[in-house]
Amino acid sequence: MAEIRLKNVSKRWHNFVGVDNFDLDIADREFLVLLGPSGCGKTTTMRMIAGLDDISEGEIWLGDRMVNNLEPKDRDISMVFQSYGLYPNMTVYENIRFPLRVRKVPKELHHEKVMQAARMVELVDFLERRPAALSGGQRQRVALGRAIVRQPAAFLMDEPLSNLDAKLRVSTRAQIKNLQHTLKVTTIYVTHDQIEAMTLADRVVVMNKGVIQQVGTPTDIYDNPANTFVASFIGSPAMNLVSGDIENGTFRGPGITIGGLQINVKGPVTLGFRAEDASLVFEGGELGAEIYSMELLGEATMASFRMGDQLVSIKSGKEYRAEIGDVVHAAIPASICHLFDARTGVRIARTPGN
Amino acid sequence: MPHRAFFAFIMPSLLAMLLFIALPIVSVAVQSLYVEHERVVTEVETCAPFAGCTTETRVDAEATEKLRDAEPLGRFNGFGTYLDRNHLATAEMNAILTDNAGFADVASRIYNLPFYRALAFTLTYTFVVTPLAMLLGFCIALGVNAIPPFYKGPVIFFSLLPMIVTPLVGALIIYWMSSPQGILGATLQSLLNDSTLSLKSSAVLTWVTLLVYGVWHNAPFSFVVFYAGLQTVPHDTLESAMIDGANRWERIRFVVIPHLMPLATFVALVQLMDNFRVFEPIVGFSAEANATSLSWSIFNDLRGQVDQLFGSAAATSMLTIVGVVILLSPVLVRTWREFNRR
Amino acid sequence: MIVNKRRRPLPLTVLSTTFVLLWVLMAAFPFIWTVWGSFKVEQDFFSRDSWWFAIEGSRTIAQTGSAFTGDGYYGAWVLRDFFSSVVNTVIVTLSVVVVSLTFGTLGGYALARSGYRYTFWLLMLALVFRAMPHITLVSGYLLPFFEMNIWGHLPTAIIVLVAINQPFTLWMLHSFFLSIPKDLDESAMVDGCSRFQAFRLVVIPVMWPGVITTGLFSFLLAYNDFAVTAMLLSQPNQTMVPKIASFLGTIQQEGNVMFAVAAVVSATAPLFVLVMFFQRQIVSGLTAGAVKG
Ligand SMILES: Nc1ncnc2c1ncn2[C@@H]1O[C@H](COP(=O)(O)OP(=O)(O)OP(=O)(O)O)[C@@H](O)[C@H]1O
Ligand SMILES: [Mg+2]
Repeated sequence: MAEIRLKNVSKRWHNFVGVDNFDLDIADREFLVLLGPSGCGKTTTMRMIAGLDDISEGEIWLGDRMVNNLEPKDRDISMVFQSYGLYPNMTVYENIRFPLRVRKVPKELHHEKVMQAARMVELVDFLERRPAALSGGQRQRVALGRAIVRQPAAFLMDEPLSNLDAKLRVSTRAQIKNLQHTLKVTTIYVTHDQIEAMTLADRVVVMNKGVIQQVGTPTDIYDNPANTFVASFIGSPAMNLVSGDIENGTFRGPGITIGGLQINVKGPVTLGFRAEDASLVFEGGELGAEIYSMELLGEATMASFRMGDQLVSIKSGKEYRAEIGDVVHAAIPASICHLFDARTGVRIARTPGN
Repeated sequence: MPHRAFFAFIMPSLLAMLLFIALPIVSVAVQSLYVEHERVVTEVETCAPFAGCTTETRVDAEATEKLRDAEPLGRFNGFGTYLDRNHLATAEMNAILTDNAGFADVASRIYNLPFYRALAFTLTYTFVVTPLAMLLGFCIALGVNAIPPFYKGPVIFFSLLPMIVTPLVGALIIYWMSSPQGILGATLQSLLNDSTLSLKSSAVLTWVTLLVYGVWHNAPFSFVVFYAGLQTVPHDTLESAMIDGANRWERIRFVVIPHLMPLATFVALVQLMDNFRVFEPIVGFSAEANATSLSWSIFNDLRGQVDQLFGSAAATSMLTIVGVVILLSPVLVRTWREFNRR
Repeated sequence: MIVNKRRRPLPLTVLSTTFVLLWVLMAAFPFIWTVWGSFKVEQDFFSRDSWWFAIEGSRTIAQTGSAFTGDGYYGAWVLRDFFSSVVNTVIVTLSVVVVSLTFGTLGGYALARSGYRYTFWLLMLALVFRAMPHITLVSGYLLPFFEMNIWGHLPTAIIVLVAINQPFTLWMLHSFFLSIPKDLDESAMVDGCSRFQAFRLVVIPVMWPGVITTGLFSFLLAYNDFAVTAMLLSQPNQTMVPKIASFLGTIQQEGNVMFAVAAVVSATAPLFVLVMFFQRQIVSGLTAGAVKG
């Protein structure tokens, strides 16, 4: 049980930067999710914490120990690998027991601990099988059982659900959440699935190209994205982003005009709003255009418009019907809009009193 | 593939194997039941005046030749050849077992019988060289795996040489080096300060030299196979073990070795088969005075330019084949069981 | 395999590097030493006093005027007619490789593509045949070959070597063919090829790496063979290895060991070249789950 601190950690291979200046404190018992597109350095970050990759720069602290030079086995962590990393020659029971065995835990405690872990991950019926004779979901649970058989300082999980089917993923996700709650162990969880991130995390770290984009609670990240990358990565559909100019609190883009925004900003900006926050209206509104496509989502209907070279989507009730080519209007009140710097993509904070 | 097409494709290969492997085995089996004709002896009575008559026995070369031509196999001998002194030596064994002075006496007397002498060396060679060469090969594989990639190519190149070289030639090279005038032999002499030391001088030293040569010759094969196996060790499992707290040795023991086990079975099988027919080293080292093998005994019987002992060679061959089958039987039985289970 | 080279403890690195160096020395030194020594006179290479003579070559200088001499090679190749055995070796090995591969690819392909049970038994039979010591087979050949009057000729040795080689060739090519998807020849047959055309026009072209690897091992078997060629070839038809063996008996009396040393080096040189150019294939062949040559 410990907090984890990463101080300006970087990872370089020759001149390729895998992780750049990663700086973060992770509280004890926190469930932290690393989220980002493929190749953004999530696995690399985790492997550095585990000690499987060397750190090019910076320090990693586990509790009050600086662990940069410790072997993985001396860091007191458990890890669940994407492809499980089970021992093919050992039974499920032996797989789960292995950490106890090599860590010289007294023999008489083994059976009880293994059984306890096996019960938690519901594997009691499979203890005598080998990994080859298990389904993907069962293997997944063996890896999980092996991680929880002892009380490590932290759990590291690298996309543990990516090999499971959609249904199993939901149930195992719940199981992981529950386990973490019961065991109260600091957990770092890697995924590129934002629903997993949103449902599991206490805090989410969004990464891109090795750089932290935003750290915050799931709600925080959803409601106040720190830049256009986060805005376009989180949410389904992603936030609408329209580029245009702002002057005197009025934004003007191709076919779209929104008033009542911050007055202290001037020049080119990117405006963002979520499809579900805007609404379709018959008259007036901030946007008027031909419908480019209609999608029936079941619980809602989504209309898309082509604004310049961008696609803007707006959700409406599930009974809403219109044809492609119809001209409709949309209400986009200033209160749902986010402004981003057109060049850097960084969020322009709302000044109080606006 | 339909049967007809299958047999059309496999015919040349199958025919070659039947004609030149299966048939010769039958031929050996038949030959082993025959033994060479004795020389035709005629009694000639010469009567000289005064001295009276004397009878002489003479070899009738012409008649012998004729007989050999007519019946090239020789005369039928049943299992006589198998049981004679040069093979199973049943009578001698009986005598030794009924009347002896302790275990050492039994061992040394049995060791003086040619067949058992050859068998003793063959088995020792097979069961000492195989595990040692595999162990050495495994260690080299671990070592080479850890050196910088740039050096791996040349190291593998040199490592292949002892295996790829013609066995007879390799044996000769080592033999010359270890002779008292060669660099190894001379160095040993000066190191041990014994100018009469010669690897050929005692049976023990000869055996040791041959065994060392065998390990040198066989280790590269294990090395290459194990080295390739090491490249496919599952990375994730290895890293799991690291995090689970396994140290270097435990990682080898619990992850690497289990992963290499099927390869080790394969290597062991191949090496047992090859080492059981050890032959060229004995010729190369001129070691026949102190160490002979089953293959060498057959070779020796056949080598005589005038009278080749086909019957004797064939009997030893049959016994060798029995040995091979015994050696292979665990594998065959296991494969057969697995096959039937499917 | 070991992820963190940097964290590998120093003593272990030193130990394993030393071990590898020692092994390389063990593996390479005998060859380097013998190649070097083959250019010396016998009193240097087999010096009773000190092996340092072999390095300096002092007696070589005294006897021939230069530190290196080709006398051994001259003696072996010219005086003792090593040359003709080299020619024989070339004929035998090339023929064995070509015929073995022809038979082997056909048979291996059939074994890989037929789904019937007898393929398993054929492979097991091949395994048993593979285990037969060659000399036991030779003892079966001699008498019939004498009777049929085919003893001593090169073609006899060639076909025998091909046959002895078959079990191993079959196993190896069989596993290579298994790695080629069935769809390939099946789509060719749907497109209008006969089974044999599919084999020749579609499968073999993608099989070249496997065929080359197998060919290398056939070559090694034929080249390195002693039992068959020593017993089945007459004196003038002898290949290199039995020739070297027959050198030994006579040379020792005449004191011309250097002829044998030169012959040994000559016979090893092609193998060096082979390993140098085909190292990758040899390694892949050894590990293809196949059998040693
Ligand atoms: N050993 C290495 N040498 C060089 N570059 C590497 C190495 N390992 C990873 N990288 C690079 O570092 C970057 C980050 O890789 P990482 O595995 O951390 O991605 P990830 O975020 O886990 O992606 P994914 O979601 O696909 O698993 C990638 O661009 C990758 O190509
Ligand atoms: Mg990853």
